[in-house]
This record gives sequence, C-alpha cells and structure tokens, in this order.
Amino acid sequence: MSTIMECKNVTYQYPLTDKPTLKNINIKIEKGKVYGVVGENGAGKTTFCAVLRGFAPSFYQGELQGEVELEGKNIVEYGGDISTRIGYVFQNPFTQISGVKDTVYEEVCYGLENFGVPVDEIDRRVREVMKLTNIESLAMQNPFEISGGQMQRVALASVIVLEPDVLVIDEPTSQLDPEGTESVFEVIKAMKEKHKTIVLVEHKIDLIAEYADEVIVFKDGEIVAHGPTEDILSDMSLLKKGVNLPQVAVLCSKLKEKGLPLEKIAVTDKEAVRVIEKALKERG
Amino acid sequence: MDKSFLEQVQIHKKNKLDGLHSKTKMIVLILYVICTFILAVKVTRLQLPLYQIAWFGVLLVIFALSGQFAKCLRGMRAVFVVFAVIVIAQSLIQPGGEILFKLGPITIEEHGLQKACNLGFMVLDVAGIFVWFFQTTSHKEIAAALREAGVNDKIAYVFVSTLKMIDEMGKNSRTIMNAQRARGIETEGNLMVRAKAFVPSLIPLVLTAITGAEERVVTLEARGFSVNAQKTSVFKLEKSGAETLVLIVSLLITVALAAWRIFLA
Repeated sequence: MSTIMECKNVTYQYPLTDKPTLKNINIKIEKGKVYGVVGENGAGKTTFCAVLRGFAPSFYQGELQGEVELEGKNIVEYGGDISTRIGYVFQNPFTQISGVKDTVYEEVCYGLENFGVPVDEIDRRVREVMKLTNIESLAMQNPFEISGGQMQRVALASVIVLEPDVLVIDEPTSQLDPEGTESVFEVIKAMKEKHKTIVLVEHKIDLIAEYADEVIVFKDGEIVAHGPTEDILSDMSLLKKGVNLPQVAVLCSKLKEKGLPLEKIAVTDKEAVRVIEKALKERG
Repeated sequence: MDKSFLEQVQIHKKNKLDGLHSKTKMIVLILYVICTFILAVKVTRLQLPLYQIAWFGVLLVIFALSGQFAKCLRGMRAVFVVFAVIVIAQSLIQPGGEILFKLGPITIEEHGLQKACNLGFMVLDVAGIFVWFFQTTSHKEIAAALREAGVNDKIAYVFVSTLKMIDEMGKNSRTIMNAQRARGIETEGNLMVRAKAFVPSLIPLVLTAITGAEERVVTLEARGFSVNAQKTSVFKLEKSGAETLVLIVSLLITVALAAWRIFLA
C-alpha cells in the first residue's frame, strides 16, 4: 500500500510551554488503513492530530520542527485548501456546529458551499451522507437542539460529505453514551469500507481492537509502539506504559500463563471466544 | 416528506411586502428612520410631536400590510416597555412650564410631557421599524443578502453568527443559572439578590463563549471556511416582485416630507 501521509522527525512545542509536547515523531500513514491512536491523557494524541491537520502550528502557534507531508508535499503548501484533503472531527460535539445554519441539512451543506460546489451536486452528496450517518430524520431540526450523539454524527457527516482522503478523528465518543458511541462507530466502519484513511484517537480500547488495522501508542509525546493491532494490543508490557489493553487480551494472557494452550492472544471478544473454545476442546 | 430537503429549506413568501428582498427592506428601514427625524416637529400649544405619533400609525400599517401584524407586535413588547419607562420617568421628573396634571405628590409639567413624548415616540418609531425588519427577515435571508452584496465572508459570518448566538447564549445562561442555584446561589428574590447572582452567572457564560470560540474556529477551518473558491449557496434568496414599486413609493414619501419640512413647515 502507498504512503499517503508522513511525519518526518516532527517535534512540536506549544507556545508558553518549556518542553515539547511531541518529540521526534516519525511515522508513515498508509492509504486505506485505520490507525488507532492510544496512550495516557497528556501523551500528545490530540496534539498529534492537530499537527497532522496542520492546526499546529498554523492556528495554535508554537514551534514545529520536521515535516508533515501529504502525498509527498508539505501540508503548509496546501494552504486553506487542506480542508479538501484532510477531514477533522474532534471531541466536543457542541462546538462543532457552524453556528450560522438553521437546519441540520444546511449545516451538512455548509462545507460544500464553502468549496463552491454546484447546488445540485451538494444536494445529492448531502442526502447520500445523511443516509449513511443516519441523520435523515433530523434534517429539518435546529442543529443546536439535538442530542450530543446526534450532534457528533452531524459533525461527522459535515466532514465526510467533503470526501477528504484522510479523516482525523479525535476522541469522537468521549462525551457520548454507549448508544451514541455505537452510532458513531457505525459511521467509521462505513468509512473504513470505503477505503478512507482514518487516524482515530479513542480511549475505548475494545473499539480500537475491532476497527483499527494498526495501533500507535503514545507516551510522553513519543511513539513508544506502532504495529498491527493484534501485535500491539496483545503485548502485556504496554500495560506498564499506561496503555489500557482489551480485557479479553489480558484474560487470554492470564489463561496462557496458567497453562491453557491458546494459539494466540485474542484482542476482540469474537476472537477470544474462538481461541478459548478451541483450546478447551483440544484439552478435551 | 414529499418535498425534498433542498425545497424545504427555501423560503417562499406570498406577501409582497413580507417577501421583499432584504436589501430593499434595509433601504425602507433607512428611509423610514430619516422620515422619523424629518417629522420631529413640535406642534400645538403643548409643543407635542404629533406627526411622529401619526408616523407610528404608518408603521402599524406596514406591519399589517406585511401580514405579520401579530408577530411584529410580539416583537414590539420590549420596545413598549422601554417606551413606557421613558414616558413615565421623563414626564414625572422633568420640571418646568405649566402644571398640566396634579394628583397628590404626582405632578406632570409641560416640559416633562414634551420631553417624554419627543423621546418616547422617536424610540418607538425607530425601534419599531427595526422590529419589522428582523421579524420579517430570517437570519438566512440576511446572510444571503450580505453575500450578494459582496460583503467579506468573515464580516458576514460574524454578523449572522452573532444573531444566532444570542439565542444560544440565552439558553446557556439558563443552564448556568440552574447550576449556580444548585450550588446555593440565590437567583430569585428582590433586586439586590438578583444583582448579586449576576456575576457568578455571567462569568461562566462569557468564559464558555470564549473557550468555545477557539474550537469553533477549528470547526470552520475543517469545513473549508478559508478555501479559495467562489462559495455557492443552497439557499436562494427570492424577490417578491414589488421591490421597485416599494422603493419608488418610499423615496417619494421621503422626498415629499423633506420638501414639506423645508418649504412649508
């Protein structure tokens, strides 16, 4: 697979701080993959998202060393047009409403209007995306008067409709209930099926285990581990680095320690049931 | 659910005056205000601004012709309160001239009544036409008109989002009031109690608005606010067809009034 984004020796320091928030980040983001970003609070995950999208340093100021590239070109060179390439969704659903539109439908249209897309095409694309994100029934409601989960889906829809190549999603579900979380992940799953490149920060590790192709672990502003989801999430040493591993992975590891011959440490519920069942059958 | 969303977000107005293009409405507003000042002539023995009072009648006719009489009157409620306060306070406080009315300690003197009526009707007329403008023009129409007029996107955004934010902040302030009440701050009672509750309610309101602003900027950027492109709009601003007629009539009235004021009065 081809590399779509790349960070080369990226170090970033916010203004008014005495040490960098991100240190020596080197990573290649491959096209069509879902990257789960995990780590403790304050490890630099959100800053990493801001750097990928170019908000740091252009908006937050501060000092950036190294290069962030999109398809081999520094993202600074894209200027304001970067929003056509990289979609960005963040935690707080309540501030992700443009504040100038009366209805959810127009809210989702807003980005495309800014891009100068003809009205017929806007209408077609927006209806498609509203169906995908399951917000059609809200179309004529005031975007400020819907629930947090619905707002987050509206925010996602407003970004997805722009059809960016890369989606940077920063803790989309941290303020949502389980139902809201599920509905947001339905959308992420649909995006994954469309082969979008997704960088997803999420604390709910079981969801990362289920949806991510690769996991990036941050600690104190550095990437301490990076690799395929199964390899990373079954690495018990990460527990000491403040990473929350899936409970089934911990269970599998304990069972293995106790002598149950598991073929591998499963990271998702489904896999765990399969390997444990298999091991139990073999033992008789 | 028969109409498409695209159709549902459009605004079609049957009433010719209500459906005027926002730019025409704005011109009518300005001319009306100019006329209000032209008509600030004091007549009768008591030097009252009778013409301005009659001019308010014209405003009511505009309300009615726009087919939004009830809505505009609802919007006028706050203006009426201000009007009442001005009239009462001015007529009671301002001394001088003949005593017109006396009941126990309450006296209304000539100058007081003059001042009260002059100021009161000026406010009523000017505020009234603004009420008409905002009651018959939605945020969406204003936004579209600003864009048509070639106003800078940033200025247009600030203008429209401010109009919308007022509602949102009203809602937020109620939430904050409730939260502060839960912490034992009294928000109901006499004036003093309410005044004391003001600061602990206002500070969180302003702070959340400020912190929210940063994230809103990020949101706008993510939606391509600064993309270099000719923006399009899903909403199409319509004309009612009466624009030229209304313009001519209001210009004629203004010119006529000005001529009358200069040459005759």
